[in-house]
Amino acid sequence: MTQLLWLWWQGYLTVRLRGAGIERLLNRASQVGVALFRVERLTSDVVLVRMAARDFRLLRPLLREAVNGPRISVSVLDRHGLPFVLRRFRRRSFLGVGLGLAVLAVFYLANFVWFVQVFGNQALAVEAIKTAVEDAGLRMGIPRSSLDPARIERKLLESLPDLVWVQVKNRGVRVEVHVVERDEAESGEQRAGHIYAKQDGLVTELLVLQGTAQIREGDTVRKDDLLISGMYYDHQGRRQYGAARGIVKARVWYEAVGEASLVRWEPLRTGRRRSRYLLTVGPLTVPIGRSLPRENHLVTSRTWQLYLGTAMAPVSWTRLDYEEVEWETVPVPAAEAEQNAYELAWESLLAQGVDRERVLVEKRAVENLADGNGIRVTVRVEVLEDIGRFSGQ
Amino acid sequence: MRPAVRQKLKRRFAETLDLPPSVVLDQAVIHIFGDSEVKIVNHKGLVQYSTACVKTRAVQGLIEVGGSELEIAFFSAQEIKIRGRIRQVMLK
Repeated sequence: MTQLLWLWWQGYLTVRLRGAGIERLLNRASQVGVALFRVERLTSDVVLVRMAARDFRLLRPLLREAVNGPRISVSVLDRHGLPFVLRRFRRRSFLGVGLGLAVLAVFYLANFVWFVQVFGNQALAVEAIKTAVEDAGLRMGIPRSSLDPARIERKLLESLPDLVWVQVKNRGVRVEVHVVERDEAESGEQRAGHIYAKQDGLVTELLVLQGTAQIREGDTVRKDDLLISGMYYDHQGRRQYGAARGIVKARVWYEAVGEASLVRWEPLRTGRRRSRYLLTVGPLTVPIGRSLPRENHLVTSRTWQLYLGTAMAPVSWTRLDYEEVEWETVPVPAAEAEQNAYELAWESLLAQGVDRERVLVEKRAVENLADGNGIRVTVRVEVLEDIGRFSGQ
Repeated sequence: MRPAVRQKLKRRFAETLDLPPSVVLDQAVIHIFGDSEVKIVNHKGLVQYSTACVKTRAVQGLIEVGGSELEIAFFSAQEIKIRGRIRQVMLK
C-alpha cells in the first residue's frame, strides 16, 4: 500500500509491451534497476506493466539492445499520479483555481457560527430559548471570534427567569446552549396555595404540615379534589392564608393495555447491495447516486466529518449502503407474544408515571384478539403514592 | 574448484556455524501466503510468465508457480511477488 502511494506520488505509467520474449526484457529492466508493478499477461504476446515515470527512460536503451533478437514494441497507455494531475491542472487552470477557491471558502466559512442547538430544556420551548439567544447576540452567521459565551449566558439568565443555569459551548461552526430550568416546586414553595389531588384514589395516610385538611384517611377522592387548604389559624386565632404543605398518600389504580402480534416480519437478505453518497456543505446536501425504496432495503450509513484542527467544518461525506431484502413472516410463540404485550403494557404504565417499586397489587388479563393474529394483555396495578399537587394562587 | 564441490563446502560451512543456508548458498527464499500470494526473494531471473504458470530461475533450480489468474504484483532484480489463485509451487 505504502509502495503504491509512493508510486502515485512520483507518478507512474501503464505500459504495453508487445512481442515475443518479453520475459527477457523484464529481466534486463530489473537488472538496470527498474521496478515493475502489476505485470499482467493479456495475450500470449501482450503484457501490461506499471512502472515509475522516471524509470521509463531506462527502458528505451534496452529495446535498442535487443535489435538483433525478437522485436518488442512499447507504448504508454496511461499516465497516473500526482505529477500528471498537476500537469492537467496547469492546462485547466480555472479548475485548479476553482478547487483552490473552494478550499479557501471552506476555511473561511469555518470561521462563522452556522448552527445553534439547545439542550436540557423541558418546559421551555426551543423556539423561545432560540429567540432569547438571538436577542443576546448569538445568531447564525456571526463570526466565531465575536462570540462571548459569558455575556450570552448572563443575558439569557436575565431574559429567561425560568432558567437557573446556562452554559454556551463553542463547537466549531456549531454552538451548544445547555440550560437547566427552575424546579416548579422550588419556585412555588413560598407562594400561598392549596394542595389538590392529581389522581383518583383511596387516602390511606394524611400528614398536614401547614394548612387545613379537607379530607380524612379512608376517603375516596377524585382528581382535582381539594385535599389540604392553604387557610389556617395562627396561634393567636387569626385566619391566615399561606402555602399548604403536607403529604397525602393514597392507593391509586392504573390500567394499561399492550398488544403483540403472533407473527413477525423478518428481512431475508437477497445479497444485492448498492451504495449511495451524500455530500453535505452547510445546509445543502447533494445526493450522488440513485435512491432505493426503504420498504425492501436495509440501509446503513457512515459519515465522515471534515475537521480543521479541532474545529468542525460544515462539510461532511456520507455513504449509504443499501442491502436488498425480502420480508417473510415468522410465527411468534404465544408465550413470547404474551411477554411482549406485557412489556408494552408496562411501558404504557411507566409513561403514566407508575413507580414499579411502589406497586402493591398487580393483575394481568390475557385474551386473544378477534382476528386471531395477536394477543392482548391488560395490566392493572395498585400503587401507594403521594397524590398531592400544590397549586399556587 | 567445481561448482558442485563449492556448494557442498558452503553447505558444510553454514551447518557448522549455524548460519542460514539461504544466505551462505545464495539460494532463493520462497514465501507462500495462503493460496493467493507467493513471494520469491533472491531469484535469478524470469523464465516464463503466463496467467497459469510463472517460472523463475534460482540457484537451486527452476521454481515453478502454477495456478490461475496469475499476475506479477511486483518485479525487481531481487524480488518477485506473484498474486492469483495459487495451486502449486514446484522446485525442478
